[in-house]
Amino acid sequence: MKEIVKIVLSLTTVCVAAALILGAVFAKTDHLRKVNEEKLREDTIQSLLGYGTGVKKPGDLKIFDVYRYVITDDKGTTVLGYLLPLKEKGFALAEIDLSGKPGKVIPVTANAAQLAEPSSRDAAINAALPKGSKATYAETLSIANLRDKRLGYVVPGSTQGFKEAIKLMVSLDPDFNVTGMAIVEAKEDPGLGAEIQQDYFRNQFVGKTVDLLKSLKVIKEPLPTDYLEVLEPAKAKKIGLTQDQIREIKQKHVKDDIYALTGATISSRAVTNGVKDTVRKFVYRLDILTGALKQDKLQVAF
Amino acid sequence: MNRNVQLLWNGLIPENPIFRLALSLCPAVAVTTSIKNGLMLGLAVLFVQVCSSCTVSIFKSYIHPRIRIPAYVIIIALWVTVIDMILPVISPDVYKEVKLFIALIVVFAIIISRLELFASKEPFVPSFFDGAGMGAGFCFGLVLIGAIREFFGAGQIYGYDVLGFKPLLVMILPAGGFFVIGFIMATFNWLEYKITGKLPKSGGGH
Repeated sequence: MKEIVKIVLSLTTVCVAAALILGAVFAKTDHLRKVNEEKLREDTIQSLLGYGTGVKKPGDLKIFDVYRYVITDDKGTTVLGYLLPLKEKGFALAEIDLSGKPGKVIPVTANAAQLAEPSSRDAAINAALPKGSKATYAETLSIANLRDKRLGYVVPGSTQGFKEAIKLMVSLDPDFNVTGMAIVEAKEDPGLGAEIQQDYFRNQFVGKTVDLLKSLKVIKEPLPTDYLEVLEPAKAKKIGLTQDQIREIKQKHVKDDIYALTGATISSRAVTNGVKDTVRKFVYRLDILTGALKQDKLQVAF
Repeated sequence: MNRNVQLLWNGLIPENPIFRLALSLCPAVAVTTSIKNGLMLGLAVLFVQVCSSCTVSIFKSYIHPRIRIPAYVIIIALWVTVIDMILPVISPDVYKEVKLFIALIVVFAIIISRLELFASKEPFVPSFFDGAGMGAGFCFGLVLIGAIREFFGAGQIYGYDVLGFKPLLVMILPAGGFFVIGFIMATFNWLEYKITGKLPKSGGGH
């Protein structure tokens, strides 16, 4: 009997000590980790728009974040809410019901810094909503303008990978052609599925139009050598291809399907479906949102 | 030779975790498609091994022998999680490279077997050197396998093209991992036979 108590106490002590250490470390690092993640997100958006490391960001590049929320009221009906920056100062939450019909526009009192922080943003939105309604964060869409002209969109998406969900971002030009794709978070196997992070895979999506995306498949064929060279900017530079040659080869292959990674067909397929889904949903949602804004006569900043 | 130096050397070559102890072969095959992958996992294991060995050797008298295995697993998982939480704060760039590998480490046979065989019986300092030696030996093994596979499978060394073509694509695939480990093990045994004149003892693996 004494032995049992000893064993239980010993293992409990180990567990409690481990839990305390983990809790303390988590409390210390959580905020800093979020700050770093946010910075990483901004860097990813900028590099997708073509202003990565080494390229100077023009001063008149403006990136607006539109936060999509799912709002459930006290009767249990669900509507979507888009938190939009207004042309005049301030922010408003535009409700759109699930069939795409615009609803109320609720002004939200908060400044930009408060809205950038997830917890204070949630609080500001829930404070603006009528009693009994609850808003849950869904995603952040980024809309980029250059000299007050639309430059493009950066849309987050997620897809079921080989083991865990893959989070990605797709950038689109104003006509919804894919201009870039980045993997934000993935736990694929190193050496196999993790290759989805590589340029030669990611850049295969560049230039795909909405129509091409609809029928896009993954094919198990070797990547053509000339295509591989232009997909990796470093390689193209080393070989000495001119801009015209690069454009020509890219044009030749733009209608190609996605070439599966060696030994990682599932991951390749997961990312391809993720990109297709993300773009399809975004185009549909943006269409509804633009329509609703027109109907509401809402002057937004972007 | 000083015992601590002996322990370090022991883990690196005479008792190399991969080629002599045949432990943790699963990650050694799965991850080593390039030098960089091998190096990243190797460094992560080295760190967790040293930290876990030191922790166990300090607290060994408080851990009841009947429940030592769950206690060791908790200690390893604790270090892995702590690294997973601290690294993105200290160095987001490094974390971006190694985060895939960190989560794999918890159940590595090599780490728990060193805790069981060495750190649970020895004082702090030798445990530190044993952990460092074994971790370094594992890292060395992964880099060596990665180098051979990357060179023959992709024609590259550390991501840089050296050949310009791929001599043996099979080396990058899982089968190539088994080939390379088998050949290196054979080389180790052959060297031991040449040097000591004795055939090596057979050992179990995980």
